[in-house]
Amino acid sequence: MSFFSDDRAAELRDLFFESAAELLQNLNEEGLELEKRPQDEEIVRQVRRTVHTLKGDSAACGYQELSALAHELEDVLGREAAANSNGSLAEVVLIAADTFSSMLSAYRGNMQPPAGDELRRHILSLTQQPAPAPHRLQASFSWPEYEQAVIADAWSKGETVYNVAFAIDRQCPMRGAALQVIRNAVQDCGRLLAIVPDENALTDERDVVEVSLASEQAEAWIEKRCSIPSVTSQVLVQRVYAPIDAYTDDVLEIGIQPLIPAEATAVPVFQPFESQSTVPANTETLLRVDAERIDALLNLVGELIIGKSMLHQCIGEFDKRFPKDPLRGKFADAMAFQSRILNDLQKSVMKVRMVPVEQLFRRFPRVVRDIAKSCGKTVNLVTSGEDTDLDKSILDMLAEPLSHLVRNAVDHGIEAAEDRVKAGKPAQGTLRLSAYHQGNHIVIEVNDDGRGIDSNKLVAKALECGILSAADKAALSEAEALDLVFHPGLSTAEQVTSISGRGVGMDVVKTILQRLKGSVSIKTAPSAGTTFYLRVPLTLAIINALLFRVENQVYAVPLASVVEINRIHEKNIHRVDNHDVIQLRGEVLPLVHLAGLGRHSTGAHRMFAVVISLGERKFGLVVDHLVGEEELVIKALDDQLVATDLVSGASILGDGSVVLILNLSGVVAKLGRSHRIMMEATA
Amino acid sequence: MEQFPVLLRKDHKPIRYLVVDDSVFARKNVAKMVEAFGGEIVGEAGDGCTAITEYDRTTPDMVLMDITMPQMEGIEAAERIVRAHAEARIVMVSSVGYQENIVAALQKGARHFVQKPVKAEILYEVIKYVMGDDAEVVMPAVQES
Repeated sequence: MSFFSDDRAAELRDLFFESAAELLQNLNEEGLELEKRPQDEEIVRQVRRTVHTLKGDSAACGYQELSALAHELEDVLGREAAANSNGSLAEVVLIAADTFSSMLSAYRGNMQPPAGDELRRHILSLTQQPAPAPHRLQASFSWPEYEQAVIADAWSKGETVYNVAFAIDRQCPMRGAALQVIRNAVQDCGRLLAIVPDENALTDERDVVEVSLASEQAEAWIEKRCSIPSVTSQVLVQRVYAPIDAYTDDVLEIGIQPLIPAEATAVPVFQPFESQSTVPANTETLLRVDAERIDALLNLVGELIIGKSMLHQCIGEFDKRFPKDPLRGKFADAMAFQSRILNDLQKSVMKVRMVPVEQLFRRFPRVVRDIAKSCGKTVNLVTSGEDTDLDKSILDMLAEPLSHLVRNAVDHGIEAAEDRVKAGKPAQGTLRLSAYHQGNHIVIEVNDDGRGIDSNKLVAKALECGILSAADKAALSEAEALDLVFHPGLSTAEQVTSISGRGVGMDVVKTILQRLKGSVSIKTAPSAGTTFYLRVPLTLAIINALLFRVENQVYAVPLASVVEINRIHEKNIHRVDNHDVIQLRGEVLPLVHLAGLGRHSTGAHRMFAVVISLGERKFGLVVDHLVGEEELVIKALDDQLVATDLVSGASILGDGSVVLILNLSGVVAKLGRSHRIMMEATA
Repeated sequence: MEQFPVLLRKDHKPIRYLVVDDSVFARKNVAKMVEAFGGEIVGEAGDGCTAITEYDRTTPDMVLMDITMPQMEGIEAAERIVRAHAEARIVMVSSVGYQENIVAALQKGARHFVQKPVKAEILYEVIKYVMGDDAEVVMPAVQES
């Protein structure tokens, strides 16, 4: 690395971490495949290629520990591993993926990587399983020049020279001490002529210690003396009969029967680079770009859109002032052209940020497998709609809530096999992850065929914890009862008593979805399973919005959630169960009043009801005037002083005025409920 | 504890051990194992100085020596014992973290090392190895494979 500049090295390292993450993901997937088809040699070859690439890459970046470990794994995979491993190979591959991943994160944080001893043990157990075929302790006995001279000297003096190779017990905890014990043992046998490696510390990749000694002892005695428990696993003693030169050049391979079923102990031999096929062929057409740069680009596009609406407004004024001016037509043409281009530009930039949901889904086979295994269940994961595109930042934020839901579904939702059979369900549980478009939203479904959520228990629990009053309970709809799952206090309480098991952290799911301007809803039926619907907008940055006025303040709501707009009159409003509702083509529609929290303004003035859909439900938003439809660039309101649940952001209109974009789920929850509570208080 | 074939000295007397460790529990633990191998504890010491005087008093066949101890560390004790008694068989008992100390002790005459927590089967093999020709396995019914 030293001949690269620091910048270049850092860039290479970044690239390495990125591609290594990709490789580990592959490794995980291959491991899972292998678990299904343990005999498939093709998968083993794939695994081997992946490990090989990882080995090469990490060595190139100077990450020796990782490289060495990958090498050991690769080595094991070479030997008819698929045929012999009876399924444990998959386990080893998965453990390897974990180990590599923790090493990588250590490297990333510039820390000492974990030694990976667990993985070593597993690799070892793999190699011990095949029937004891004659193992080969490979030793080269090629000595450096000075040692050659020493050996030749001893030889010429008529001393008996032995070459001894020690295979270090891979389970030996302290390799440096092991080397010292070997030195001591050799000195007990006679005069030490040469030892490789010469350093005091034995490195991890070194498994064989080669020694040349002059001794008067018999071969058998030396062998006994050198078979050191807990240090060596195999010893090869060889009397040197021929002049030393004969041994210097070529590698000797001596097949011997192991006394104990010891592990194979080949010296690290560099594999020819036979497989580079895991590197995608189309690398040249792919460009890796920092997400920040794209965000900056998108921000500029956003400013352009504001500019466009400013221009639009100016032209509007120009039109009014000079209605006969021939320039108007030209302006209009130019304007139309510009907005078309701007539209395309915006779409292209958005597309750059889009990534398939697969990136999110692909981690789950492993997660599901691990959790299912740890709680003794078998769960089949079915995914669909992986190619649905979603904004990268949304995707990243969804990872946490989604894995929480998946964990819950496997851990608590799906019953133990015997319970399932008792309930007449297949012993194997099924977990479905699917993604699909719905209007301007993406819906991600997490569906299990487990025991479902018992809303009665939830309500009972909520009453007990004082989250819900008895009066509330009466007014509670089924959906609202299920929503209690997301109540932070409640979920913790449940965890303690483990009544229905949907544990802590569900409130986090809800919070994140709200932050994403999305929503989460539940559908469940006892013993038929539970489905969580996560709805998120396609993108966070630019929306088509409907602008309207309430008490002379302009607000906006995403156009995508507007179903229709109706003119309503005060006399059409009915009161049912403390809700203001209107009847719309036979459907009862609850109303939400933005104008204050008390009774809406007096007088029989005309209003509009903007019908919005929120998840499965519909509401009528009562507004005074409609302003129009506009493309808005959302600016986040990070400031704690202005940010509220009710507003998801703000935007600047063409005339420079600020418009607040309503967070519909927040508005409905807050105004709908507080309104009701107020009504109850006065009643 | 599993059964081990009894390991005796050439003269068919029990192997005599000196166990050195500042933790009473560790001493008892090792002592139990050693007794299971048919050995006899002739002395115990909780620090390096006592270890040396105990060695002089009992001249055991085998010393099992901890590394980290108050007053005098295991390495120094091992070194002094070996300097006075070249034939002393000392096995260092220590955790992985003290590899350098173990190497030093081995260079100064300790014969072998055992990692803590001590596993009986490993300790047995190590003792057998260090005793070498001076010990033999009695009870041929349970042959070592």
